[in-house]
Amino acid sequence: MDVFGYQHGIYPRSEAVVAATRDLERGRTTQESVDQAFAADRAAFARLQSDAGLDFFSDGLLRWADLFRPLAEAGSGLSVDGLVRWFDNNSFYRAPHLDGPPVLTETPPVFDDVLLVPEPRVATLPSPYLLSRVVHGAGDAMVELAEAVLEPAAQALRARGCRLFHLEEPWLGFHGIDRSQWEEFEKAIGAVTGGLDVPVVLHVYYGDGSSALDRLRRFPVAAVGVDLVETDVASLGTKWETGLLAGCLNGRTTILEDPGATAALVVRAAGATGAAAVYCSTNSEIELLPLAVAERKVRLLADVCARVKGALS
Amino acid sequence: MKPLLTHEVGSLDKPAWRVAAYAGRKVLPQQIENAAAWGRRIGVDGYEELVALLDKSPLDREQRRQVARWSSIYGLRFLESAGLDVVYDGEQQRTEMYNWVVAHSDGFDARGSVRSFDNKYYTKAAVNGPVALKAPFHDAEFSLLSDHAASELKVHVTGSYTIAAWSFDERYREHDLGQPADLRRRHRKDARRQLVLDIARNVIRPNIESLIALGARWIQVDEPGASTEPDELDLFVESFNETVAGLDAVFSTHLCFSDYELFFPAIEGMHGCAQYCVGFANDDSRDLGTSDDVRPGYQIIERFRDLPHEPALAVGVLDIHTDFIEPPELVRDRILYSVDVFGGPERVHVNPDCGLRTRSWDVAYAKLRNMVEGTELAKAKLGL
Repeated sequence: MDVFGYQHGIYPRSEAVVAATRDLERGRTTQESVDQAFAADRAAFARLQSDAGLDFFSDGLLRWADLFRPLAEAGSGLSVDGLVRWFDNNSFYRAPHLDGPPVLTETPPVFDDVLLVPEPRVATLPSPYLLSRVVHGAGDAMVELAEAVLEPAAQALRARGCRLFHLEEPWLGFHGIDRSQWEEFEKAIGAVTGGLDVPVVLHVYYGDGSSALDRLRRFPVAAVGVDLVETDVASLGTKWETGLLAGCLNGRTTILEDPGATAALVVRAAGATGAAAVYCSTNSEIELLPLAVAERKVRLLADVCARVKGALS
Repeated sequence: MKPLLTHEVGSLDKPAWRVAAYAGRKVLPQQIENAAAWGRRIGVDGYEELVALLDKSPLDREQRRQVARWSSIYGLRFLESAGLDVVYDGEQQRTEMYNWVVAHSDGFDARGSVRSFDNKYYTKAAVNGPVALKAPFHDAEFSLLSDHAASELKVHVTGSYTIAAWSFDERYREHDLGQPADLRRRHRKDARRQLVLDIARNVIRPNIESLIALGARWIQVDEPGASTEPDELDLFVESFNETVAGLDAVFSTHLCFSDYELFFPAIEGMHGCAQYCVGFANDDSRDLGTSDDVRPGYQIIERFRDLPHEPALAVGVLDIHTDFIEPPELVRDRILYSVDVFGGPERVHVNPDCGLRTRSWDVAYAKLRNMVEGTELAKAKLGL
């Protein structure tokens, strides 16, 4: 069985970057100094992933203001506005507004950051269902957003050497999905993944997504991700058609999990689902952890993944 | 409380002279001139003493404390000279609304910075033992401000739910993911409830009791995190009630940047809350007028109007996330709309959406002056 480990989502910034960005806003430093601080963080994160032994490398999306901002700012038809809480966290994003036909008219400059980390690279993007829920005024525009914004974004990242795509889908985990939206969701996923010749992982988290798995596992994706902090292995079902992403480490607690017990849980999930491939990662993005804790979680993730590989190979 | 009472909400930016001096650095000439200019502008008696002190920088420990006290007086005069009815000091002596509390409490360990939004961060701590108040942590600033204030004071105290929601709970260890998820969720919620109530009873309430003993009459319990977990609104209400029950003062609460629908019906049980201070301008249009169409940010306020304990609603009329200076006429219309929904001005107060610490003093001052002017326009329109 193929087993892979990687870290998805936005990664926390160092105190040096925090201070540099704050100083820039107050006119106390230069953009060059801020860029240097980001470069140091990116290099440190790449080194951490490499030293830990993860299989795909992320740039940590370190310069992304939130999961949607680069997409909203690089196109027409989308503008950003007031702050909205990021689910049940003390963290906020600026909600995009749909004020015209959405089009990604240019490649977000932050996409170039991925070129600065080793290959093979993993890219993170919002899932089309999530994007359609957070964009005010999107209504029934899920497929349109997927075709006009996410697909060109994915292609741009593919052209920058990304060999794995991770689509964040916390909305489904937290709020669920109306039955009438499934068809549109599947079509939107197809619009993103259709032109990509690399695996795409659709990751449901911040909730128990088990009731959606029967449908999700037939989506055109390489793997479906589950949040094992919120979901029982017994409820994952059997005979999966796709791979499984096991969100097995809690991305919102500073407690470090036991690697042996966590690996055993992943092995049990893999066995129960019969998934052909297993991806190991955190149950959610780890941006909401302080950097020092996030570093330990990444090392722990690599440890867990190595144990799973040992058990399943 | 009088109709259309104006007040601030929380923090102001810390002036560069205060930051540099308190950090033990040399205060630059332009920063000293800034202190002098604001001292003249807002009428700080004896500001020349501060200027002379800053001239001696870098400063020793006691001198740095003097600078912090000066910044408190500056914050007070800033708000008073802007024309507000009720003031404090822009939290000039506190590091930040969360950090200041946990730094003065037992049971917390700082863990590092976590992003709130954009490039804004807060230092998040972990709870790893019994929580307790080390010593009252607002007494010194309140005593100082009581000695200097010409206007009524309102003390901001961060609420227990927010402190808990913004902390990692390392007392609760959820190791065994092999247990049923429902059982783990119940254990997690039980642990959360215990933590929130521990903080309410052992940290926030005794701190408030100390303030009341010093003469504090109005205490605003800041709960920006109150709706973090939508299924815990009852816990937020319980913690507020535990914090204030039986204490002799006026209590209000500040809520911001939330889906306010979530608070209903839970806050119907907050009988001890005399005023809800809530941000709305962030979601409103900048168009003039008092129709529903141009006041989208205020559509929720009828829910506050209908609360059975008939509290006042302090409506946020200034967006604190932008340098846009709301014209007095826009403030007026936001107030008039609110008064219309409430059926009169008696239970409507006026304030910014939240603390103005992310704005420069120039911008914050212009916004507040226009808020006061807009309130006067509304009063004139209402014949008050």
